[in-house]
Amino acid sequence: MTTGTQPATPLSPAVFAILLSLGEGDKHGYAIMKDAQSPRGGAIRMGPGTLYGSIDRMMRDGLVEESGVSDDERRRYYRLTGLGRRTLASELERLDAAVSSAKSLGLMRRPLAKGGRG
Amino acid sequence: MKAPRSRFEYFYAAALRLYPARFRAAYAAAMQQALHDALADPDVSRATFLPLLIRDLMVSLVKENIAMVRESLARPVLVFNALVLAGIASGVALALYAIPQQVLRQGLNDPQIQMAGDVAARLEHGGTPNETVPQGEQVDMAQSLAPFVIVYDEQGHPLASQAVLNGAVPAPPSGVFDYVRQHGEERVSWQPVRGSQTVNGVRIAAVVERVSGAHPGFVLAGRNMREVEAREGQVREMAGLTWLGMLGVILVGCVAFGWYTRPKAGPPTHATPAM
Repeated sequence: MTTGTQPATPLSPAVFAILLSLGEGDKHGYAIMKDAQSPRGGAIRMGPGTLYGSIDRMMRDGLVEESGVSDDERRRYYRLTGLGRRTLASELERLDAAVSSAKSLGLMRRPLAKGGRG
Repeated sequence: MKAPRSRFEYFYAAALRLYPARFRAAYAAAMQQALHDALADPDVSRATFLPLLIRDLMVSLVKENIAMVRESLARPVLVFNALVLAGIASGVALALYAIPQQVLRQGLNDPQIQMAGDVAARLEHGGTPNETVPQGEQVDMAQSLAPFVIVYDEQGHPLASQAVLNGAVPAPPSGVFDYVRQHGEERVSWQPVRGSQTVNGVRIAAVVERVSGAHPGFVLAGRNMREVEAREGQVREMAGLTWLGMLGVILVGCVAFGWYTRPKAGPPTHATPAM
């Protein structure tokens, strides 16, 4: 996913949704799942297996880390690292450029739908 | 870890045991908590969430276990040992095929060696071809497994024969006679009719001896190889199955060894960002 300290994009939908959710601040697993499912979070429906599998790989890649804060022994909070923040920014720029290009080509005649998938 | 709080959570907790140990140790409690939170969330419809959960469980189980196997096996020492063992297994399987095959082939020539020697000796002691070649019902080389004798003159033309093929007495290639002229004897697999043995081909295990004296020429004693080749096929199948079995055992053993000797990692907590 990443090479050294350089952001590597494009990201998988799950990784992008997790980064986007944590962009708001520290969150626990279920909060990330809910954010991801919402339209503003990417409308990605993922279960705990996909979530924690992605988080596991993202932690190894240095994109996220545990915040150390917990309101329950089973509820662990995560936050973005500097690399995670840069990776998210890089992905957003890539997507923004793609959306701008699509708009200039007249491919986006309607505003983005407010409803999410599924 | 708290006890599951509903029957569904109980089953989910049981299913989490199918994840690799490292992943389970790191995330099982958090995954159960996420499920508990989802089931307690009034905004979440169970009818849509539970199918998603089951699909997610199956997909991530496969994904994490494959990742575990890849991590466990992606070690040069393990791969090297597996390749060495596979090489040894291949050698053993080859020997399991080659040794019985050679024993069968060598044993196939035994009667012909004796028959060719006896007829050659009688010819050299003044016997005529028709006297020395046993007379009686002729052997059909294509059908019969009985050994037979044919006597040829110096030019390779048949003088007397105990066997026929398609109503004629065939002769081996002239190169065989040339070799026997120089070396006195040759043991060859002779295919008087080209093609597959099972369709119309005939393969003969032949012993050819040089004859001197009053009737110089050659004595060929032969025998259809059909039965022995069928046994060789059985040996080949058994050796092949043994080889595949050994490779399977090595694969399973290496996966198990890799699994039990994998680098132990505790739950990832407070990972240092790769900055």
